[in-house]
Amino acid sequence: MEIQEIYCSQTGDKCNFIKHSSGLKIYICEMNGFSTTEALFGTKYGSINTMFKTGKDKDYTTVPEGIAHFLEHKLFENEDCDAFALYAKTGANANAYTSFDRTCYLFSCSENYLESLKILLGFVQNPYFTQETVDKEQGIIGQEIKMCNDNPGWKVLFNMLQGMYHNHPVAIDIAGTVESIAKIDAELLYKCYNTFYNLHNMVLVIAGNVKTADVLEVADELLKSCENIELETVFPHEPYEIVKSEVYEHLPVGMPIFNIGIKCAPLSGYDRLKADMECYVAGNAISDPSAPLYKKLIDEKLINSTFGFEVFEGDGFFALIFSGESNDPKKVLSYLIDEIEGIKAHGIDKELYNSIKKSTYGGLIMESNNVEAVASNLISAFMSGVEPYDQIKVLSEMTYDDVQKTIIERFDTKNLTLSVIE
Amino acid sequence: MANYLRKIIADGVGYSTIIDPKFKTNRIQITFLTDLLEETAGANALAVGIMSSSNAKYKNISEITAKLNSLYGASISVDVVKQGDYQKLTVGVSSINNRYALEGEDISGETLSILLDCIFSPNAQNNEFAKEPFDFRKKDLLDSIEAEINNKRGYAVLQNQKKAFAGENSGNSHFGTKETAENLTSAQAFASYKRLLSDAQIEIYFVGSEENDTIEKKISDAFSKLDRKVKENKFINFSPLKQNVYRFEEKLDVNQCKMVMAFKTDCTDRHAMKLMNTIFGGTPFSKLFLNVREKLSLCYYCASNYSMLKGTLFVDCGVEEENIKKAEQEILNQLEEIKKGNFSDEDIKNSLLSIENSLKGIGDTPMSYVNWYYSCFVQNEIITPAQALEKYNEITKERIIKAAESIKLDTVYVMKGE
Repeated sequence: MEIQEIYCSQTGDKCNFIKHSSGLKIYICEMNGFSTTEALFGTKYGSINTMFKTGKDKDYTTVPEGIAHFLEHKLFENEDCDAFALYAKTGANANAYTSFDRTCYLFSCSENYLESLKILLGFVQNPYFTQETVDKEQGIIGQEIKMCNDNPGWKVLFNMLQGMYHNHPVAIDIAGTVESIAKIDAELLYKCYNTFYNLHNMVLVIAGNVKTADVLEVADELLKSCENIELETVFPHEPYEIVKSEVYEHLPVGMPIFNIGIKCAPLSGYDRLKADMECYVAGNAISDPSAPLYKKLIDEKLINSTFGFEVFEGDGFFALIFSGESNDPKKVLSYLIDEIEGIKAHGIDKELYNSIKKSTYGGLIMESNNVEAVASNLISAFMSGVEPYDQIKVLSEMTYDDVQKTIIERFDTKNLTLSVIE
Repeated sequence: MANYLRKIIADGVGYSTIIDPKFKTNRIQITFLTDLLEETAGANALAVGIMSSSNAKYKNISEITAKLNSLYGASISVDVVKQGDYQKLTVGVSSINNRYALEGEDISGETLSILLDCIFSPNAQNNEFAKEPFDFRKKDLLDSIEAEINNKRGYAVLQNQKKAFAGENSGNSHFGTKETAENLTSAQAFASYKRLLSDAQIEIYFVGSEENDTIEKKISDAFSKLDRKVKENKFINFSPLKQNVYRFEEKLDVNQCKMVMAFKTDCTDRHAMKLMNTIFGGTPFSKLFLNVREKLSLCYYCASNYSMLKGTLFVDCGVEEENIKKAEQEILNQLEEIKKGNFSDEDIKNSLLSIENSLKGIGDTPMSYVNWYYSCFVQNEIITPAQALEKYNEITKERIIKAAESIKLDTVYVMKGE
């Protein structure tokens, strides 16, 4: 198998890429001087992938919401014991998570990483579900859903997404609902497993204190070759426009919290990354503490230091989110719209643009210093369909005009939803 | 493992250097340790908040952030937490190494100057902070106090602590009360600032890729000019056990109930206590996780945590109302099992492996170094993670049982839906 070295000319960082004969893509970053190893075994299967078919199927299958997350929980158990009991023997710190577009199983450790890697590759490739264990899990996940519903930061986001998306499953809680998970049975879990946990749809990322040759030896031993099943996932048609412009809910919170989401047309691959980075710089030029809007909102006591911005994107969705705490979220919104329209008309302040860009570059350098962040960036690149280090490449090629154009094209102030928990 | 060196640069001011060539970043942090009192906690928090967002040259958060952004996203952070009976207030800067500067800027030199100005040349006149940074941070402080309820798990633990540690400093919130915060004036915040510089224990940490004498000299010069009068501090203060278990409830508009149980100990064998806690509820293969969550499906989370500074062990869980009693019974039952010695050599071995795994990972981030040596300092025993591991490896089953036998239930808090 060919080991391809991927090099980042901006920072001098590098990693190895291997297209394994089993169908799995493997990224390995050897980091000198670090003691920990971070490994992630992930599949492009998240809460939004509820409609799919393989090359052999005639029709699309639709599955209950929350099933990817349910599967994540169940995969931790095999016939004899659960994966935590296996990891207990190596000392590794193990976990798993499901997000909108992926499910990842991970461990970090500072000893015996090859033993832990064997456990990881072993249990993820060996599902074991029975109706009895599925029933038991419904109780635990039911508690998890209730816990999330008591988290106002989580609720304000999903209320906003429901105000923005008509049909796209991004608006549904990752864990599903108590009702939707009640429809899950062992047979459905096997169907989803066999579809999405095909090595052609998966990736292994390992960073830190590792040796490529040793990782590949374990991979050769344990990876089971998979036939490429030509998996296709689809999303229901999603109009460009939002559903409604305001969503309010009452819950116990201190200061009312808000999310303002601007809905944008979705993109994929390198174009999405480029738009993401441009929007990141643009959004910070609007909302950073050094920007005029922030000062104005602080001076009028409309926000506190929790005010922030993020780009929220994935397959079939792309949104720009401003969030914070305020006694008057509507007034914050009106100032925000004025600021965006002002920048569209007069251009971003050049000095502000340059300092935000420099700060973004510094942030990427800081991340390259951290084993966990390196592994996380490698897996994100795979999930987004771009190359490692494309982020810093996009940033170094970015121009002022690109960012100005992005504000005009994507910061559509007529297509936004305000969500408030008070 | 990097070299660690702590020097005393003024009365009650320690300067620790940790050099590790693999880092691409520098971290300098200044930590103040002072009694956590209801009257002063808010003013102290406000003082460090203002320090971290302004100085005489960059007068507000906008100006200082603009400057830091141009230094490749260097950042000044502020952190206020409870550490036993003390309030720990930290102002720190993180920045990338000069060798990554695209235009030859002296990033580390400039960030240090900004930090020292924040501490020694605040935006203040006539013993008051300027209105702008004061108003900004006062609103932040009040909003943070109100927002404590947003995180239900953390809120529940804090509610328990208020009763478990009633009458002790650690019963106070790290931000103090809303009432005190509301009435704070700029002059009071400034007085707190002065008091932190003169009275607090101050621990300074520099983590970087190479020795930097200039940084040490500048910091040392600045702090040695202070007029200091530091009292003898004692960071470990075990909380006394109540005669009767104190139980209380609160009703909130929530979907999931929470229970927090505080147990007290008089056992000073802290490594054995820590290992016992790991076996009991510190990992996903612990007794609590395997039984309360996995076997009985009573909770999504159920974990234990041991405070070495207070000799107190907390168990917290999220649970359905009808299962509260069952969960408490099972938690107590699991503790009894450990007291009876009903755990295997493998349980001990696996818990030790988990502790070893975290100890050996110390040093992979600048913060992990700082946190390690800081905790060594408050526990009055400066050792390397490798030395700590030796201490854990010497622990016998008898010592674990003895540690478990020493803990007694003290306070139970339950949050229920309305």
